[in-house]
Amino acid sequence: MTRADHQLVSQEQVADGQAKIARVVGALRQVLLGKEDTIDEVAAALLARGHVLLEGLPGLGKTELVKALSRLLSLDFRRIQFTPDLLPTDITGSHILQERDGRKDFVFHQGPVFTNVLLADEINRASPKTQAALLEAMQEHRVTIFGETRPLPDPFFVLATQNPIELEGTYPLPEAQLDRFMFKINVAGVERSVLEEILTTRVHGEPPPLAPVLDVGELRGLFALVDAVHLPRAVANYAARLVAASHPASTEAPDAVRTFVKHGCSPRAAIAIGAASRGLALLRGKPNVGFDDVRRVAAPAMAHRMVLDYAARLDAWDGRRVVAALLEAIPEVERGLPQTLETR
Amino acid sequence: MPTMPESVTRALRRLGRRLTLGLFLEIWPAWAAGSLLVAGLVALACRLFVPAAAPFLHWLWLTPVAAILPAAFICRRRSYRPAEVVAVADWLNGGLGTLLTLHETNDSSWIDSALAARTSAFTLPRLRPWRRLVTVPPALAFMATALWVPQRMPRQTNVIFAETIAGNLAAAVTELKEQQLITAEEEKKLEEEIERIRKGAQERVDASSWEAADSLRDKLAADVAEKQDAIKWAEQTLARYEAAAASGPSPDGIAAAHSAELMKALERLAERGLLAGAPQELQQLAAGAKLPADAASLKKLMASLAKHLAGVNGRMAGVGKLGKDARRFDPSEFPLGKSGPDGDGTPGRGGVTRGRADADLTWGKETSPLDRFKSQTLPPGAARSPDDWAPVVELPGAPRESPSASKSAAARQYSAVAGQSAWRRSLAPRHQSAVKKYFDK
Repeated sequence: MTRADHQLVSQEQVADGQAKIARVVGALRQVLLGKEDTIDEVAAALLARGHVLLEGLPGLGKTELVKALSRLLSLDFRRIQFTPDLLPTDITGSHILQERDGRKDFVFHQGPVFTNVLLADEINRASPKTQAALLEAMQEHRVTIFGETRPLPDPFFVLATQNPIELEGTYPLPEAQLDRFMFKINVAGVERSVLEEILTTRVHGEPPPLAPVLDVGELRGLFALVDAVHLPRAVANYAARLVAASHPASTEAPDAVRTFVKHGCSPRAAIAIGAASRGLALLRGKPNVGFDDVRRVAAPAMAHRMVLDYAARLDAWDGRRVVAALLEAIPEVERGLPQTLETR
Repeated sequence: MPTMPESVTRALRRLGRRLTLGLFLEIWPAWAAGSLLVAGLVALACRLFVPAAAPFLHWLWLTPVAAILPAAFICRRRSYRPAEVVAVADWLNGGLGTLLTLHETNDSSWIDSALAARTSAFTLPRLRPWRRLVTVPPALAFMATALWVPQRMPRQTNVIFAETIAGNLAAAVTELKEQQLITAEEEKKLEEEIERIRKGAQERVDASSWEAADSLRDKLAADVAEKQDAIKWAEQTLARYEAAAASGPSPDGIAAAHSAELMKALERLAERGLLAGAPQELQQLAAGAKLPADAASLKKLMASLAKHLAGVNGRMAGVGKLGKDARRFDPSEFPLGKSGPDGDGTPGRGGVTRGRADADLTWGKETSPLDRFKSQTLPPGAARSPDDWAPVVELPGAPRESPSASKSAAARQYSAVAGQSAWRRSLAPRHQSAVKKYFDK
């Protein structure tokens, strides 16, 4: 099908899809007060079928957000509390010798990874070997145990959390692992007004009870709708230029990238931006992706995929700041206005 | 079926025109400035080396206008494609991507949506050409300066003047040669002199070149006049000789004087090269042969001489005006000698040919080869004998030798006419030593 023949999703479909996802988002906003941006990003990643890494200080609602999401979607939900002594088979499952009808045989017992929504809590506390057990599951939605490959349920999301402090005894996620997360979302603290609202509306901080708002069929319908969201060529070009410019060797790379970035984003970043932009566009009730959607998802999709130089740590530059510099330097349209024209 | 609302289509057309104009104003100033710089360089070069181009230099002001053509061509090649115009419009509209989507897909299902209606609400970019046009005024100033530079006379002009000067002289020599009025030796000398004048004029054109040409022309005219005098003398001598012969026998002394005069006249004709082409007997006569004794031969010889003189006279009539009609050097017509606006004619203000009144003298301007003194070998001197003298005139008060008188007496006797009254003056004692010292040294 050529682009000229591309059929846009209808206004009714978009309105229906937006209403469905709005129900999820609205419920999440009732659970997590003052975290609208974080919730939008999680919703966009959910629609794009991407995994999310939530990073923030303890007590900011990361785990609560994931739990609320699983309840709202009426999906199977498992939680793994990552600890240093956690083994890969604790995640993937293993064969156990069982006796049946007088015969002893190895029977496979599924691990918690066989679920729709997996909460990997404090993922950086497990050993790299255990973290690596998630690699295949996250990328290919399957696990291989003793040479036997088993598919994971569909949909499959990994929502991991990690704590940026208390780093002793932790194992920072390797780049290959980080790259499999569509978004890394920094969960910031809340304002005083939000705290007041929590105190006045919650008893012991307990969130209101949640009921499922989307079943699996509706969710799959949303996924199909997101895939039908149109990504204009100029917007795709913008996303591609952003990712390409994240490499210090790129001619379009801004000074911040040349100075602080050791390795730029992988092509997965561009794919993640495209997919997440589609999800965000549907969330905003549009049949297409726009430059604004790309700008909105660029930071959570790119920041954790860049390997920064030691100079960045010395100058207090992190991935998000570099992405902000990228957004500042790279124009949305490849061929902008002539120098004799300027916007009012 | 249209995929975009009409208002959006109109807005896109407006934006397309604005982008084209902006693109042109981005490209043209560089071309205009560049063309002005090139034109300025051309004008400068013409001012310095090509005086003939001076009347056309003002056309160079049209180069910025001519620069429109390449600018328009480049503008057309770089023009915004419809997809690019839509992308810019979408970006101006907040980057929603709706315009791009409506443009890329032929789906008209969203044409009546609120999103589509909002896409025409973008504001056209404002035109700011001054940032690019800022390069044009300096280029204009350079061009104006280049045109303001006064026209210089390059070295090529010297060649033209030199050829003009030498050509006139050569024409005169050629005319003399055609009329057989100069000898080969004279012709060679004249050609050398003309060549010298030509080279001098090529090195530097000034009044001296014309003056040298005038001088040579005067010399030619003088030579012609001398030849005319020689012919006239020969004619008169011949007339007298024939008159004497017609009047019958004359005393031997008178006949010999006529013969001698006629021979001298013939010698002078030969010296002036006027016997070239003359009959053999006339040339032999000029070489020293004697006049024939018999009357018939003499008469025939005289007729031959008269005929030759008439022929030479006829040829001479053509060149007689040489040196009279020729234009003389007129300083007011000399183009390089004119007083310019630089104050060449106002004392104290300096100029191109001299410095200011208070300026230091410089000795770098050497005399041209034409103006220099030419070395000329003097004839060898001959010592005269002390006895080779004769009184020219005897003054009434001339002293006569008187051995009896003393020197002082003689001085007193002739002092009135000797003009040596100073010797008789008495000197004050205090001056005598100084005078003695002066004359005794």
